[in-house]
Amino acid sequence: MRPRLLAALSLMAFTAVLLAAQPAHAAKIRVVTTLTDLADFTREVGGDLVEVHSLATGVEDTHGVPMKPSFVPIMNRADLMVLVGFDCEHAFLPALLEASKNPRIQYNHSGYVDCSKGVIPIGVPKSTDHSEGDVHPYGNPHYMLDPVLAKTAVRNICDALVAQAPEHAAEFTHNRDAYLAKLDAKMAEWKKLAEPLKGVKFISYHEEWEYFAKAFGMEAYGTVEIKPGIDPTARHIESLIAGMRADHVTIVIREPQFPERVPRLIAEKTGATLVKLPIMPGGVEHTDTYIEMMDYIVHTLVEAHKT
Amino acid sequence: MHRNIRFILPALAMLWLAPPLFAQEAARPSLEQKVEELRRQMEDGRKAFEAQTKEMQQKLADLAKPSAPGTGETRPLPPQDVENFRRQMEERQKAFDAWMKEMQRKLDELSKSQTQEESPNDAAIRKAVERIMAEEERKKSSPQTEAQSGVTPEQMQELNEKVDRVAEAQKKTLLSEFNPSIGLVGETIFSYHRRRSDESGSDRPGGFDVFQRSVELNAAASVDPFAKAYVVANAQADPVTGESTLGIEEAALQTTSLPWNLELKAGRFFGEFGRLAYIHDHELPFVNRPLVLAQYIGGESRTDGLQVNWLLPTSHYISWTAGVGNNFGGDSPNPDNPGAYRGFTGLNFWSRLSTYFDLTPNWQLETGVSGLWNPTTEDRGGAIVQPNGVSTLTEKERRLVGADWKLSYVPLRDNQFNRITWGNEVLYGDNHYLSDPDGVPASGDEHTKSVGSTGLYSYLEWKWHRPWSSGFLFDFVENQYDKHDRTYQYSPYITWAISHWNQLRLQYTHTEHAGTSPFHADDAVMLQWAWIIGSHSHGWQQR
Repeated sequence: MRPRLLAALSLMAFTAVLLAAQPAHAAKIRVVTTLTDLADFTREVGGDLVEVHSLATGVEDTHGVPMKPSFVPIMNRADLMVLVGFDCEHAFLPALLEASKNPRIQYNHSGYVDCSKGVIPIGVPKSTDHSEGDVHPYGNPHYMLDPVLAKTAVRNICDALVAQAPEHAAEFTHNRDAYLAKLDAKMAEWKKLAEPLKGVKFISYHEEWEYFAKAFGMEAYGTVEIKPGIDPTARHIESLIAGMRADHVTIVIREPQFPERVPRLIAEKTGATLVKLPIMPGGVEHTDTYIEMMDYIVHTLVEAHKT
Repeated sequence: MHRNIRFILPALAMLWLAPPLFAQEAARPSLEQKVEELRRQMEDGRKAFEAQTKEMQQKLADLAKPSAPGTGETRPLPPQDVENFRRQMEERQKAFDAWMKEMQRKLDELSKSQTQEESPNDAAIRKAVERIMAEEERKKSSPQTEAQSGVTPEQMQELNEKVDRVAEAQKKTLLSEFNPSIGLVGETIFSYHRRRSDESGSDRPGGFDVFQRSVELNAAASVDPFAKAYVVANAQADPVTGESTLGIEEAALQTTSLPWNLELKAGRFFGEFGRLAYIHDHELPFVNRPLVLAQYIGGESRTDGLQVNWLLPTSHYISWTAGVGNNFGGDSPNPDNPGAYRGFTGLNFWSRLSTYFDLTPNWQLETGVSGLWNPTTEDRGGAIVQPNGVSTLTEKERRLVGADWKLSYVPLRDNQFNRITWGNEVLYGDNHYLSDPDGVPASGDEHTKSVGSTGLYSYLEWKWHRPWSSGFLFDFVENQYDKHDRTYQYSPYITWAISHWNQLRLQYTHTEHAGTSPFHADDAVMLQWAWIIGSHSHGWQQR
């Protein structure tokens, strides 16, 4: 048994040496993002100097990206891990980070890029008791749907890239400013387009649209879920429908990762318009970038309001 | 660069503001120019007065010239003319003095204002600079408001209040923040078994039964920048006496920043063997632990030892784990054995190699092979009496290998609502025993015996809504002491996850025995109610 054991150990060590002696990595900064909007921002700022991989493809729940082991080698070699923050990725990122065995991108290390830095959250719970559902202790994490707050994420990404490669600071800064200017122009356009949406009430499946509502003057009336992460009961749906009728709620938003049956039923019962809106780029067709996604959201809501 | 922008922006603003202000300067005289103008006017007035005085004196001299050329005689002036001339001279002098006095007063006033007051242009520049500096300070404290041009004062006020609250909150540090994250898991099993336990071989009594299987207290925190630690203490009721005992299921230190993709774990922990052996009872997909894991490993793969995990530096996921420990398996005996000496071969050695394939974006395949070897085990379990009540077996060497694979359908879009899992694990045990047919030590009939036995489980589970899933578990195991003693189990089950922390599972299990098994077929219905309070996170192994 012992000679065989020694032979096996020798073979293992030899394999390890071979694998460890891989060619040097390319000069590009390797960035892994949790969601697709962050990947879009990173590409805009980093240009050809970055290699970006998003864990999500766009159709997933922001809290429920599958923990695929195939992510682990990618994260293992990453220079930067860009995330939304506010515990948005609590269900999958901590375990993936642990499995990645990459000290650079662990929490509180230089490669851990929390894009919520500088964002003041809304909906910070007074208590994290589970009677309130799967609450986010740091507040609602869906700030990316407010383009103004998304700009903070762009700046944070730029700062991280500059810290990673100071020699390219001028290029990153120039790209950032150009993209922010583009976002400013689009925001003015979206604001003008969304004028009719001011004061319009809507419901959604999950508490995902609070920042968007605030940015465009809409009113988030309620959610299909009883509490975050808790599925609706018949009593809750009945109560929601009665309230929507009384308060003239005209739009039902269904995020792609949630089933359509209950939102459709509510829309039919209340006469509200049902719309499917992405929560990150790629959530529906023709929304590959953040700007395309926001274009789609604003146009769809304006059209829904007209009907 | 980003920080310096608060200095650069005001400077740029000043440059931008300055030209128009200078243009206004040209159109409207500055203070200094006014003073200079006054001084110039005073000088000009003085020169003009002196010139006029000289001219008048010249006229007076002309009037006093001789009346006839060459005679040397002067003609006397009329007295009234002399008087008129003298009066004019005095009046001019007085007017000049008054004018000079007025000019001096103006000059003094201007000079005074020049030293005490700020010109309108200077004030405009100062105000512009102050406004820009204040704006930069505000942006510095709340960056996201930078782009909110056009916000109302009310919105700004609200934002400032929020900033203040956040800033204030950041100053607070509670002692409780140093506490580890703590969670408590409870699990109760309500069951009905058709047969008595001595007929079915079950570890639970026949008939109706309520069993508080576990109350687990979990605590975890970082030790320092290089390691984290966790503890799982389990209060469990003794199946025979019913008395609760508090045991430490896990208490381990795990490194977090070793180089070369390495991770070390030391202490008491669930060793990585197979697919479900290192999963806690309440996290299993079904109520009971598969028979083969319960019998061959001894339940959960608990060990006191050291384990190293290596993520191979390849673009494809390959993970290799190896460990050494005193015991291995929750029920594995670990006698104190006073006076005994345990050599290196008396320890358990295990290893696992696993990998993963993305078959499609929605279909996944995970697979692995595992091995467990304890070269010398005679000091562990002692003699085990066989079902005939006479003969005994004493384990001399423990060898176990296994293969597992899990095929999963995990749709990216709605995996919380729709998922299919097909999990399988096969174990082969090749244990060496000292067999004593008459049960009398050193009677001469003892001989070594190897038993090669196989066991497996396979389950198919379908999650059709966020709270609802159902599945079917098939179990087969050959007794590791007698491969002809075979047991089969068939277990359909349905799970209702009321929430992430509150779950009910109903399972029916039909058990069949075959071969040399002394037990009879049984039917059981089990209702498991599991709950979690406090902190609870799923690690990589529980994915």
